[in-house]
Amino acid sequence: MRKQFKETVMDLSLRDNRIVMIFGDVSVYLFNDFKEKYPNRFYNMGISENTLISVGAGLAAQGFHPFVHTIAPFITERSYEQIKLDMCYNRFGGNIVSCGASFDYAWDGATHHAYTDLAILRLLPGMEVIQPGSTKELNTLLRSQYNNETPTYLRLSDHPHTIDVPVEFGRGVALKDGGCDVTVMTAGPLLGNVLEACRDLPVNLLYFHTIKPIDTGLIHRFRHTRMIVVHDAFGLKEAVCEVPEIRVISHGIRDAFCGCYGTLHDIRRSLGLDTEGIRERIIRELHCRQ
Amino acid sequence: MKSICKNIRRQILHGAKESGHGHIPTCFSIVEILWAVYQVLRYDPHNPLWPERDLFILSKGHGALAHYCVLAQLGYFDPGKITTMGLFESDLGCHADRFKVPGIEASTGSLGHGIGLAVGMALALKIEESDRRVVTLIGDGEANEGSVWEALLVASNLQLPNMTVIYDDNRSHSRGLQIVDPAEKLLAFGCDVTEVDGHDTEALIEANKYRGERVHAIIAHTRKGYGCPTFMENPYEWHRRSPNENEYRSLLEELDAETV
Repeated sequence: MRKQFKETVMDLSLRDNRIVMIFGDVSVYLFNDFKEKYPNRFYNMGISENTLISVGAGLAAQGFHPFVHTIAPFITERSYEQIKLDMCYNRFGGNIVSCGASFDYAWDGATHHAYTDLAILRLLPGMEVIQPGSTKELNTLLRSQYNNETPTYLRLSDHPHTIDVPVEFGRGVALKDGGCDVTVMTAGPLLGNVLEACRDLPVNLLYFHTIKPIDTGLIHRFRHTRMIVVHDAFGLKEAVCEVPEIRVISHGIRDAFCGCYGTLHDIRRSLGLDTEGIRERIIRELHCRQ
Repeated sequence: MKSICKNIRRQILHGAKESGHGHIPTCFSIVEILWAVYQVLRYDPHNPLWPERDLFILSKGHGALAHYCVLAQLGYFDPGKITTMGLFESDLGCHADRFKVPGIEASTGSLGHGIGLAVGMALALKIEESDRRVVTLIGDGEANEGSVWEALLVASNLQLPNMTVIYDDNRSHSRGLQIVDPAEKLLAFGCDVTEVDGHDTEALIEANKYRGERVHAIIAHTRKGYGCPTFMENPYEWHRRSPNENEYRSLLEELDAETV
């Protein structure tokens, strides 16, 4: 997905000389083309996440379209107040594009796991929160939102799904709508596992690439069903719960640090977020319903 | 003390008395700094968003009352508004809101933010090859924040000769985390450094005219509460206190006597 990020930015830059790239010493080599072509709009500012955000906001204040890019926990959790005040309260805007979120850096342990980013950023007034699940979704959503003078968070993944889903900012998608009693909801790359898990099960399936604003209309349409959010981060469940008349149960992140390493798949399996774990949980819910 | 600066201090006192708000000692320490900045920067109070204006960011946001009084003096808005500071529907908060106050470039309050924003703005102007400039005022207490030094490192690396950082050395830090020899530190962080008496308006004006090859740091040696011995002797008692009517009259007498 990072490669797509670069390709989209390179393409946009052909027509937009207000794009400025700010790196926290990550993905720098990948963007060599950009550096060579636009040297005065390429800055590797090092491992200084607070300042990356403030500088991005300052550039946006003067009419530029900055992309601040580094690792998810550090740019969101460490720099939360900079995002809140410099980008959101001041309404200067700017784009934050993270990598390594959820458990993409599984082997690095809890310091590098990031599953609160979507949840905490969606609390900030004016913030757009996007979790593209595929390269197509990233390409479409980045193009539609990057220059709207609004603070926008896009969370990249090293493990995108390859399912072709309609993409429109702020709109969820009903991938299975069979009038079933149980509705499964998910977001981002985990869709690959979720779709496989419930392909032959009698459930509705809603998918979201935009966490904020959440598609309340779509959720509301399924309010009379039993809802399960299956997600590898906080944020979607909380967004769904704010829709009136909605009660939801969740399957995924627990109230504990993940003390294990391994691969993304290892951690997903430990949380019951591999295909088998998800399927088992949904089947349990279907039996419970009966 | 220049009569204009004495008059601004009178307005600060009056605004604090009427509103019940304001950090008077810190406001008194930056009056000459603010006045001098606006003698050098390009601005138009009748067109606050004039595209050719220079940019000033009050990073030490709790000096807002002093900034309001200077902006009102310059004609940005009616000085009568200052007494409404802190009221529910007032445009003037105890920390400034850029959407409500003409002349405010960034809403500040939480310390250690304005300087990072200023770096971004200076970088934007550099990319545009503009001759506009950015000045930010930070406090020595604010310099306890790591984000201040991180922003300075980044600014130095970006080589921003269009950026000036004024460091209000009013000894706020003295009872907490001490910043020993800020000039040496700012020099080590890659700035050109000028030290001035922060209550000498002419020296501050000259310092603000400086334009070198890298970030310019002006260390303004000031005193909290400068102008009234009561504040200078008890800056912490008055940190966030406003005077009652009797105290106000007494403080005005001190100010008019100019015993400092």
